[in-house]
Amino acid sequence: MIHLSVSFLAIVIVALLAILGLFTVYLFIQREREASFNKNRKSYLQRSTQLWNVYLFEEGLFSVRLVPRSRADVEAIEIIFLSYLKNIASPAIRLEIKNFSNRYLKEFYKKDLASKRWSTRMNALYRIADFGMDELLDTCRSIEHKKISKEERFQLLKIYSLFQPDLFTEKLKQLQDGYSESEYRRLLVLLDDDLFIRFFDAFQDWSLNIQFALIDTAAVRRNAPYVDKLKHLLSHNNAEIRIRALKGIYEIGIIDEIEIYLPFVSSDVWEERLMAAKIFKHAPLANMYTYLEQLLQDENWWVRSQAAETIAEARQGGERLQQFIQYADDEYAVDMAKETLMRKQESR
Amino acid sequence: MGKIAVIEEIMGEREVKQYFETWLETIIRSRIPITAIFLKAVTSLHGSDEQEHHVQDHVTFFLQSKIRKTDLLFQLSDGNHWGIFFLQNSAVEAKAFLNRIFSILKEEQSHPIELKASITEIRNNDVTFEALINKNKQRLADHEQSSWTIEEIADYRMQPIEIVKVSIIEHNEIFRQVLEITLNQLDLPHFTFDITTYEDGYSFLEMDHYKTGQLHLILMNDILPRKNGFEILHNLRKMPNAKKFIIYMMSERNYEGAMLNAYEGGVDEYIVKPFNLRLLEAKIKRTFARFWL
Repeated sequence: MIHLSVSFLAIVIVALLAILGLFTVYLFIQREREASFNKNRKSYLQRSTQLWNVYLFEEGLFSVRLVPRSRADVEAIEIIFLSYLKNIASPAIRLEIKNFSNRYLKEFYKKDLASKRWSTRMNALYRIADFGMDELLDTCRSIEHKKISKEERFQLLKIYSLFQPDLFTEKLKQLQDGYSESEYRRLLVLLDDDLFIRFFDAFQDWSLNIQFALIDTAAVRRNAPYVDKLKHLLSHNNAEIRIRALKGIYEIGIIDEIEIYLPFVSSDVWEERLMAAKIFKHAPLANMYTYLEQLLQDENWWVRSQAAETIAEARQGGERLQQFIQYADDEYAVDMAKETLMRKQESR
Repeated sequence: MGKIAVIEEIMGEREVKQYFETWLETIIRSRIPITAIFLKAVTSLHGSDEQEHHVQDHVTFFLQSKIRKTDLLFQLSDGNHWGIFFLQNSAVEAKAFLNRIFSILKEEQSHPIELKASITEIRNNDVTFEALINKNKQRLADHEQSSWTIEEIADYRMQPIEIVKVSIIEHNEIFRQVLEITLNQLDLPHFTFDITTYEDGYSFLEMDHYKTGQLHLILMNDILPRKNGFEILHNLRKMPNAKKFIIYMMSERNYEGAMLNAYEGGVDEYIVKPFNLRLLEAKIKRTFARFWL
């Protein structure tokens, strides 16, 4: 049996109560600090949002009241700037934000980049990219040599792509397999047209993930000059690259010479036949019908379905499908034509 | 016989007055102006009564053969003035009509007739039929005026200012304020905005602000708290007077599926965020420019 004296127990209880008391005081102080921080942030938002709006949208004068005095003010400015950047596309406003950030927010974010907390550093890296703070580029480069996370390194790449494209190209070459295809897409979508074309010109030098990302990003950016770049890839020996290039061309929607797509009608790869059936949407049905009829009788369901849809969407496509149903022998193709026609009538 | 039959069909001042008063009331409601042309024969009316009647019949027959089914020709009681009301036309079309008929008459050798004319474009209802006739008669009374003159009377051209309700439904308070500033600064001829802002779809639908017959511009985000933009869209488009709503939907979704869905649901404009505010202004200006001929 354990013997404990009353005095010992009393000391333990008092010690525990003291720790609890200290902890409560700590929590209370933290809560007060947070409340005071939120109050200051709200106060900046209340007094300055209107000033910012007048300054940026009504050609008002710059007020010194807009300059941040505390961390809470910086957070309020982040809210205001992000609202603008997310909703309004204006080079003039972007420039104002960049100049203001370089001048008044630089020191705050510089300090954040040296923080021991990962989330603080990440937030600073995001805001440097968002607000275009190129004056912090050297600070960003200096933290690269420290032990930083993969996410931070990715964010640094994003910053280089915005402020120093050559450095970005160099770093990306060193990190060819470091990231996923979607992460590369997120980086490539930010590049300006000239740099993006340069990336395309060196297509063979990139890893497969970057090559895929380049093709998909070209489709998203939908610029006419990329069509020629994608057309060059149609003779690539990798089927996935050919399929993605076809998909990209279809999405951009500029089909100037149909002959280069005709070999895909008889391709061994069904995805290529499918993409050909999609691309033919952008050409007159009268010229493409023979090929679409061949694709309508394809062995693959997806190809048949796409060919029927392409025909049905064209003017007089319905009549063509009706005629096809009358004379065709392939019952799978006839079923597909009937099904597509029915769907078309229901959607009217 | 044919000529007499035609002349019998032409209306006089008193009959036309009733039509005019009805049309006048529709100008503002339909936002379509009426243009009146008054013509006066300058020469050949100084002979015998028979000669005068002959010329008047000839002018009437000629004008009747040139007007469209939507135009209304009438003769004033003094006999040597004719009026034509052009419904759904502005002074530009009326002037083109006059130039056309004048050039035909100038070339006509068998019955040389010389006319002069005045054009009055009416874009408000601050005019009486008598005032319109007197003003045009006075304008054509000047003997110094040469034949084929076309005078313009601009007294009734001023369009009334129409108040348009505007609802901005956007969750982001800062952007909401920016939109309000932008629309307040927008200078639209003949329209003025009465702007109300909402932070979510529910608060908009709860207010009865939209349940009036007034023209109403809605600028809303597709994603909103409580009731989203598509719910508002469906609610408004199933109302009996749905056409009074001009609906602009703002969205971050920049793909064809989302746009198709929005247009098929009944939006008038789909704007992808982030967008240029000047572009929004230009779109709104074009939308309202279409309202008046």
